[in-house]
Amino acid sequence: MSLLQTTDLVKQFGGLTAVDGVSVGIDRGTVQAIIGPNGAGKTTFINCVSGLLDPTSGTVEFDGEDITGMPPHETVQQGISKSFQTASIFPTMTVEENVQIAAFGAEHGSFRFNFLKKRSDYNAVQDRTERMLRSVELWEDRNVQAQSLPYGDKRRLEIAIALASEPELLFMDEPTAGMSPDETRQTVDLIEELREELGLTIVLVEHDMEVIFRVADKITVLHRGAIIANAAPEQIRGDEQVQEAYLGGAEI
Amino acid sequence: MSTETEGEGGSVGATGLTDSDAVLMIASAVALFSLPWVLVDGFGIVAEMLDFSIGGYVGLPSLILIYGIVVIGYNLLLGYTGLLSFGHAAFFGTGAYVAGVVSQSVGSPIVMVLAGIAVATLIAWPIGWVSIRRTGVYFAVITLTFGQMLYFWALGPGSWLTNGDNGFSEVGTGPILGTFELDSAVFPNIGFLQSYTYEYVFIAILALLALWIANRILKSPYGLIFEALGQNQQRVSFVGLNVQRYKLMAFIISAVFAGAGGALFIMHENYVHPNTAYYWIQSGDFVIMTILGGAGSLVGPVFGAFIFEYVANVLSGLSLPVIGAIGSLWRIVLGAVFVVIVWTFPKGVYPGVRDFLVRRGARDALDRLSDRVRNRGGESE
Ligand SMILES: Nc1ncnc2c1ncn2[C@@H]1O[C@H](COP(=O)(O)OP(=O)(O)O)[C@@H](O)[C@H]1O
Ligand SMILES: [Mg+2]
Repeated sequence: MSLLQTTDLVKQFGGLTAVDGVSVGIDRGTVQAIIGPNGAGKTTFINCVSGLLDPTSGTVEFDGEDITGMPPHETVQQGISKSFQTASIFPTMTVEENVQIAAFGAEHGSFRFNFLKKRSDYNAVQDRTERMLRSVELWEDRNVQAQSLPYGDKRRLEIAIALASEPELLFMDEPTAGMSPDETRQTVDLIEELREELGLTIVLVEHDMEVIFRVADKITVLHRGAIIANAAPEQIRGDEQVQEAYLGGAEI
Repeated sequence: MSTETEGEGGSVGATGLTDSDAVLMIASAVALFSLPWVLVDGFGIVAEMLDFSIGGYVGLPSLILIYGIVVIGYNLLLGYTGLLSFGHAAFFGTGAYVAGVVSQSVGSPIVMVLAGIAVATLIAWPIGWVSIRRTGVYFAVITLTFGQMLYFWALGPGSWLTNGDNGFSEVGTGPILGTFELDSAVFPNIGFLQSYTYEYVFIAILALLALWIANRILKSPYGLIFEALGQNQQRVSFVGLNVQRYKLMAFIISAVFAGAGGALFIMHENYVHPNTAYYWIQSGDFVIMTILGGAGSLVGPVFGAFIFEYVANVLSGLSLPVIGAIGSLWRIVLGAVFVVIVWTFPKGVYPGVRDFLVRRGARDALDRLSDRVRNRGGESE
């Protein structure tokens, strides 16, 4: 059974159908890439799953449970996390605090009405924060204000925040956009590590074909909100409809 | 940030100098317990020298700390969570009336404060629940409306309880723990400690407690979440935290402090009127005190309360050349003070002065270091 399954998912903005009957299953432990031209509905699709938007119709099931229309904090608690397309951080808090808050999010409940217990006394949270910061190589910068990080580091902080909420399924919306080739390589390495070490299931929206063909087990191609192909990378490479719609016939 | 400690990681700016709880509490205790002497006797001496009545009076320190307690809590909402409430008089006034009513049967100040807190918390729940569903200006206006609803209730339909426009004066505050009369001096035989009444000691202890609790809240997961809410709400929900729940918590916590302040207020004044309890200007004063002293710093708002009440109660008694008596024009003076302070210290008095001192301290340290390096250079030649 798929970890995530959407059925006939539709999202309309007024007259515009941004997501048009998307039915897709994502298998546990795989990396699934979603590609498609700008405006294809990739971000909207993610938003409908993560609860930022309510789908107009259709259902979303996660781990066998219907989570359609659940608000974001609940989908996160279910085990779905996302790193935003434009880094969404807490600008004047330290790098460490940025990750710490996500680690506390994963603790939901353990500090219910405990207003007086210090953060530093939550050992599991401290450990997780450190582990995540080390995995994105930001531990040395933990006392820096998040807003003063260079762009690439902000993106990696964004990933660390998403990871600290201990997801089973991680959405990454264009994680390498705007990164230097070096940073991109690091991020790709990180993605592969995450899958292997944490057994994460990853849904990756990406434009960089090199990245996609390196990490994806399966590729879903969206075009005007609908799936036009959903297959292994080798097959997508040879798919004429995809060549036509998305790549304008260019070689990949 | 040279004072940062290892384990804490140190939150930027907000706690820079006060990372150690013990240092904070001791410094605050010293400050609070010297306040009456400084304000009444110290300022009084200066006043005599200048022949200008700028000294505080017995009672003013209590009033400052009462508002101090309110704004310590209010700041958790405004300074950290970033929610601008224009209706916190609702909880202040409720604390006052409830404590007043309770005092008619139980005069214990401790019971009065607890009762004031309880009912303020109780009404903060529904008011907060509705208000936090909107943000920004709408949140401010909704809270303002709730405050004004209570104001008109206290003037009209609630008169049976509040005595309406005549004000509530049947306050039967008894001694603390059945022993210490609020108005008596703690050290009746020591001349320069006459301004230390049991009332002041009681209020100062509660103010210390308020600081301690607020400090612990800020260092708990809640503090982190409140600050995060002030910066990026969407991200807070995307780490799995229920934004509404934590906003409501911040709202209710701030109401607890306001309720306590209200109860102490009626104890101190022996009287409360809808104008000082519930009127929207009272809510606005909390905002001014907080911003004046430094929203987003734990102790800053207390300095704001100090400046505010000093202008309102002492400077208003001054008589200036040309202008004449300040009297009821004190709000104009306050306005000027506010503008000057916000102009010089955009973050408020306390963070501004602290940053200034830290920067100067760092510069001095650098100077000393470079002196030493130069001297050593001289020796080796
Ligand atoms: N909140 C919104 N309101 C109206 N239209 C939107 C909104 N969000 C996205 N759209 C539209 O939906 C379509 C899909 O957008 P998006 O999901 O961001 O595409 P992608 O991420 O694939 O580039 C676009 O035409 C976009 O303009
Ligand atoms: Mg997008």
